[in-house]
Amino acid sequence: MLREPKVHNPLVKVDGISKSYAKRSSKTRVQAVQDVSFEVGAGEIVGLLGPNGAGKSTTIKMICGLIRPDEGSIRVNDFDNQLERAGALNHISAVLEGNRNLYWRLTVRENLEYFAGNRGRSRRSVHTAIDELLEQFNLTTKANELVNSLSRGMQQKLAIAVAVLAGTEVILLDEPTLGLDVDTGYDVRALLKEIATQGRTIILSSHDMPVVQDVCERVIIINQGRVVADDQVSNLLRLFATTAYSVSLARPLTAAQREELERHFSIITINPQGDAVSVTFEHSDDIYTFMDILKAERSTIESIERTNVNVEQVFRTITANANGEKVSVEGARDVP
Amino acid sequence: MYLNVLTANIRKVIIEMVRYLPNTLSIIATFYAIFLMLFWGIRVFGDPVTQAGNIESTIVGVVLWSLATMVMQGMGWQITSEATRGTLEQLYMSPVSAWRILVARIIGCILVEIIVMSIVLFLAMLTAGQWLSFDLVLIPLFGLMLTCMMGVSLMIAGLAIVLKQIDAFLQIVQFAFFGLVSVPVTISPWLELLPIMRASSMVQDVMTEGASWPQFSLEMWALLIANALMYFGLGIALYKRAERRALRLGLLGQY
Repeated sequence: MLREPKVHNPLVKVDGISKSYAKRSSKTRVQAVQDVSFEVGAGEIVGLLGPNGAGKSTTIKMICGLIRPDEGSIRVNDFDNQLERAGALNHISAVLEGNRNLYWRLTVRENLEYFAGNRGRSRRSVHTAIDELLEQFNLTTKANELVNSLSRGMQQKLAIAVAVLAGTEVILLDEPTLGLDVDTGYDVRALLKEIATQGRTIILSSHDMPVVQDVCERVIIINQGRVVADDQVSNLLRLFATTAYSVSLARPLTAAQREELERHFSIITINPQGDAVSVTFEHSDDIYTFMDILKAERSTIESIERTNVNVEQVFRTITANANGEKVSVEGARDVP
Repeated sequence: MYLNVLTANIRKVIIEMVRYLPNTLSIIATFYAIFLMLFWGIRVFGDPVTQAGNIESTIVGVVLWSLATMVMQGMGWQITSEATRGTLEQLYMSPVSAWRILVARIIGCILVEIIVMSIVLFLAMLTAGQWLSFDLVLIPLFGLMLTCMMGVSLMIAGLAIVLKQIDAFLQIVQFAFFGLVSVPVTISPWLELLPIMRASSMVQDVMTEGASWPQFSLEMWALLIANALMYFGLGIALYKRAERRALRLGLLGQY
């Protein structure tokens, strides 16, 4: 079982939350989140991963207090976010819909001032902080431009700047790099790392695995509304490194072999020529099945080596097997 | 703390009014055009004996109707607009309650409306050649009327936060507001229960009949205050109830 990291003095404590929605079309209920628990400590950068519809956004919105859980509780800096809402929201800010979180008819500076004002801060008290943020986010020259004239990347940076200006210990980011080009994605990634060095706690939901691997120290993987893995990124990579292999063949696989391999292994990539296979063995006897399929057509292995896994492979392996249950990877450790 | 929320929202509304001046000017033009139609209607078809009084009542009626429409629908429009843009959830991320932010926003809109309606009122009086009475008693009267209007606005905002797409309802309800500002409250004692009817009657009396403090009894003031506080309190209670429902059903981010 992937261990749950022990967090001393958790800043965010999610305790057994569940949420279901009524489906209008069929009058049935959909279980979006089921008995999810985790803790996040001060200064941690945690990635929340999961396939579409896994319950990530619902979980994030429940932490923000925007959706009320059916069961369980969430405490932010020891404030119950439903019973002591204002207290909890003093310690939390969020970027939920990226550039849609902004007023497009106001300028960059006016947006920053407006959102700070809504948190009860005067324009004078945030003036210096805004100048510093504009500098840090490379938006100084755009300070007096309307948001609707900015590129999507700049709008995204501004949305993050608004959250940072709130001065809260916890920042939640839902898909911060969604829809950005590669360069801007790198800029945003660098900004997130910089914010993290300031001691803020970041909870980040993303499909962008390189961002998660680069920025986060720990990942929580949610599948079918349940937490299926919760561990340090380094631990997960080490754990799964033993199970991923690259195999080169002397001649291409036959169509039958290709079909057999794809049927047996959920985490597998075969190159277009059919002579190189990247495969993850999820059970201790998978390697024998793999060899049997190659042997059946007398395929000759030229080389076989353990590959460097990344968060994406870990994520795919876990979600492919989890079926909403917490993953057991004890077997994976035994793979030769 | 709330003063900063209030300042931020008033500033936002004023920035948008100045930045989108053609929109502001079109509002002035629309209400002036409505007044002109009513004015020429009275001049052409009205009884010459009561014409002067009818024109004065029409001027006050147009101003009150415009104010009622803007304030009572205001929060509903704000909610649907924020939900469409994607900023509604951000408002809910503030430690300051959303209804307080909405009230701050509507106060900003009222200030803009006062500027706009002062221009319409001046143009209307200039066109009619009839000048209305202004008395200090109008300050508490408008204060209480606006309190009542904000209560109704919060109720409509509560509806908007759950249903979101209430644009058609908001269009139709304007006609009900016209009834509230134009039907005399003296017709039936039950009308005292409706929002702003007593206040708009008293405002009409001041501006068209030249009434002042001595003409209004303590009972009238008591009814006015009770009506304003009842609707404001009811507005907050219903908005909070709708908000709880929206949070339970996860409706804030939906449009």
